[in-house]
Amino acid sequence: MAAHATRRLPRVTGAGVVMLLTAAALLLLVGLPLFYVLLQAIFPGWTRGELSSAFSLFLPLLFDPALLGLLGNTLRLGIAVVAVCALLAIPLGALRALTRVPGGAAWDLIFLIPFMIPPYIAALSWMLTLQPSGYAEQLSGISASGFLFSFSGIVFVMVLNVFPVVYFAVSRTMISVGGRYAAAARVSGAGGWRAFWRITLPLSTPGIAASLLLVFALTIEEFGTPATLGAQSGYKVLVTGIHERFADWPIDIPGAAVLSLLLIMLAMAAFYLQHWLVTRRSFVSQTGKPAAAEHIELGSWRWPVLGFFSLAGLAAVALPILAVLATASTGTLSGGIAWGNLSLRHFEALFANRDGALQALSTSLGLAIGTALLTGLLGALVGYLVVRAQLRGKGLLDLLSLLPNTMPGIVVAVGLILAWNQSWWPIQVYNTGAMLLLAYTCLLLPYPVRYASASFRQMGENLEAAARVCGAGFFTAFRRILLPALAPSLFVSMLLVFAIASRELVASLMVAPAGMRTVSTFVFGQFEQGSPGVGMAMSAVAIFTTTALLVALTVFSRKRLPITG
Amino acid sequence: MHALKPLSLGICLFALPGLAAANTLTVYSSGPGALIENLAADFTAETGIEVNVFQSTTGQVMARLESEQVNPLADVVVSASWDSAKSLHEDGLLREYLSPNAEMVPNFLKTNHYVAQGVSALALVWNRDNDVPQPADWSDLTDSAYRNQVTMPDPAQSGSAFELVSGLLTAMGEEATWTLMEDLADNGMIVPGPNARALNPVLQGAKSVVFGAVDYIALGQQAKGEAIEVIFPDSGTVIAPRPMMILSSTTMPDESEQFIDFVLSEQGQARVAERYLMPSRTDIEALRPTIEELNLIEVDSEAMNAQREAILERFRKATDS
Repeated sequence: MAAHATRRLPRVTGAGVVMLLTAAALLLLVGLPLFYVLLQAIFPGWTRGELSSAFSLFLPLLFDPALLGLLGNTLRLGIAVVAVCALLAIPLGALRALTRVPGGAAWDLIFLIPFMIPPYIAALSWMLTLQPSGYAEQLSGISASGFLFSFSGIVFVMVLNVFPVVYFAVSRTMISVGGRYAAAARVSGAGGWRAFWRITLPLSTPGIAASLLLVFALTIEEFGTPATLGAQSGYKVLVTGIHERFADWPIDIPGAAVLSLLLIMLAMAAFYLQHWLVTRRSFVSQTGKPAAAEHIELGSWRWPVLGFFSLAGLAAVALPILAVLATASTGTLSGGIAWGNLSLRHFEALFANRDGALQALSTSLGLAIGTALLTGLLGALVGYLVVRAQLRGKGLLDLLSLLPNTMPGIVVAVGLILAWNQSWWPIQVYNTGAMLLLAYTCLLLPYPVRYASASFRQMGENLEAAARVCGAGFFTAFRRILLPALAPSLFVSMLLVFAIASRELVASLMVAPAGMRTVSTFVFGQFEQGSPGVGMAMSAVAIFTTTALLVALTVFSRKRLPITG
Repeated sequence: MHALKPLSLGICLFALPGLAAANTLTVYSSGPGALIENLAADFTAETGIEVNVFQSTTGQVMARLESEQVNPLADVVVSASWDSAKSLHEDGLLREYLSPNAEMVPNFLKTNHYVAQGVSALALVWNRDNDVPQPADWSDLTDSAYRNQVTMPDPAQSGSAFELVSGLLTAMGEEATWTLMEDLADNGMIVPGPNARALNPVLQGAKSVVFGAVDYIALGQQAKGEAIEVIFPDSGTVIAPRPMMILSSTTMPDESEQFIDFVLSEQGQARVAERYLMPSRTDIEALRPTIEELNLIEVDSEAMNAQREAILERFRKATDS
């Protein structure tokens, strides 16, 4: 499959071998499962090996009047979340990059935590907190169910889940745009604000646009929040429609595949908008000259800024985790928050099942580390390929590297099963843990690719040319010149991948081999069987473990790599 | 190149359990997870045959079976939807087997291809800490005392909720059923999704009653101290038997049959009873009201399933969900 597709690429030399391998890996990891989803949508009997009644599902499904409503709702939600994310995260990111925010790098860690809270747990936490008789009402008499179970409520919870994507992209990009251009503007007489608006912000466009595109893709694909909150407010989106087709007997995989193609088309539209934005002009701002990162002193603005960061941290991190802890450490949900109801029984139950829980935790952590390394490496290469290589069809590869992010995990998982559960593969990876690694790599590759390609767009080509002139081959130039310049963005995207992979649910449920559990499938199982307390206890343990690991990793890498700026 | 290193490492690491799976029985089961894990552990202790369990919701189990059709991996499947077994059988995917241990299982809970592991029923679940009176029947919930206090699992996403709607249609007739649904919706009933999602708001007290909850989950939570009551309406309710079956593609037919025998043994059925399900064998004691004690509505599932789409459409219209 991959070999066939790569044959069409023009002949290239030198670095070309690596590039061909990269393209092949991308086609194999992402293209193949997507191809099978496409086949499934076209041939409803594909899983049974039937090729009859091709396209028979398209017309009835696409002319279903309900579909237009779902499509409109999806689009509205995506745009609203992108807009609110931009309003919240661009200022946060810019402040972090350009000024001396009290707390500094600690905020980076804090804003990584929302990724480690699975979206459905976050939505559930908000529900447990704000619904009538919820934790907020038990403690302070406030309930805000009217707000929570509404369009604004869904947007609010989703923004808190995904805004760090934009925060990290903006702060990393602005750090690497650096103070030099702004300083040049200042020398030429521009004021601080003017320099920001006219120089720093426009030069950061690739990073911002790429991250907003990710947010849009994530939002239209996300299932947990709309399912938890939307059902009560009657707000249905395409993904809830897709998941309903998998909810119970009879399941409808072909219908789900057709609806997924709609999501893909939405994402493609967003992709071309972003592409148009970032390729219209040059954003090269990194020339390789060392620039001392200058941070503006905030002075008396310190406190309002600190308040802004704290508020975001409180809403995105502290509140959901407190709700998780409250559920995990109270004996019964109906007993509420009361001294008499405090109990460690959920943690005891977890400890009694420690083989299962520990196995799930170590499986998840191992897979998350593996996925981060694999996607980091591939992401850097793919990013280079789509920005620098002179290849026809590289735009297609660029698009391909975004698509997994726009498709519901469950559909990607079905594509993966269809692709890999075939007896003609020389090595059977299906029904082994490697399948999870493949699934996570496919689903999460978009992060490193987006972050890396945005970085490459800002990097002057002279850097590489200079290295080549000095006699460095492709590998040396990549390792010694490009990679270090790329490191801040790439490292952050790998941390994101690690965080998300450590808690991915939907695809894990589908492709985990029988007998293997991950943290998320463990937690989900507990909820399904009516033990929300144990589920929340496991979530708490997982969130704290992954956070501790990330802190250790960051501290370690900061000593080794001068990347944090 | 470099990409292959972690990949091949991963494959080496994970292929080991995969290879071991060649002489292990693979069981796909919908919840409860603790039940299938206990059954598998007991079975291994008794027979020495290793069991690999994939446990999830019925929808996920079926989606996985469907996607794996080219190269099926499961030997034994336990579903929570009787119709799923019926339809797998119609597609010729099930192996014929009637366990000798199924002798004490009533006829309507066994066929030559599948047999009930246990049975659940649908009920009202009421939070007794909330300030609303205890309901006794389905129709009580249209009373203004229950305004904005009722949740119901979505029949489109929960097979058992669909069974309940079918049952009401059988017992009350079309007009009365849809009037009831419309009145419930007018009274502020919400339809938030599959079973667990309808139950959670009632546990915390945001809502007071679930209309049509799967009973064993609620009974288990009550036993753990949640302030809820499980009420079986006098006018009758429906049951949801959980079929077990062997796939015809199995490479381990003997071991699969042994597993079915084991689940239907006294020891296996006691495990089923432990989870507040009704054991399918009538000679095993249950921890809860059993089929004989409940007032059951006879549902013509075949006729109802033929109209499934129409019923769901009418339900959506009635409840505006």
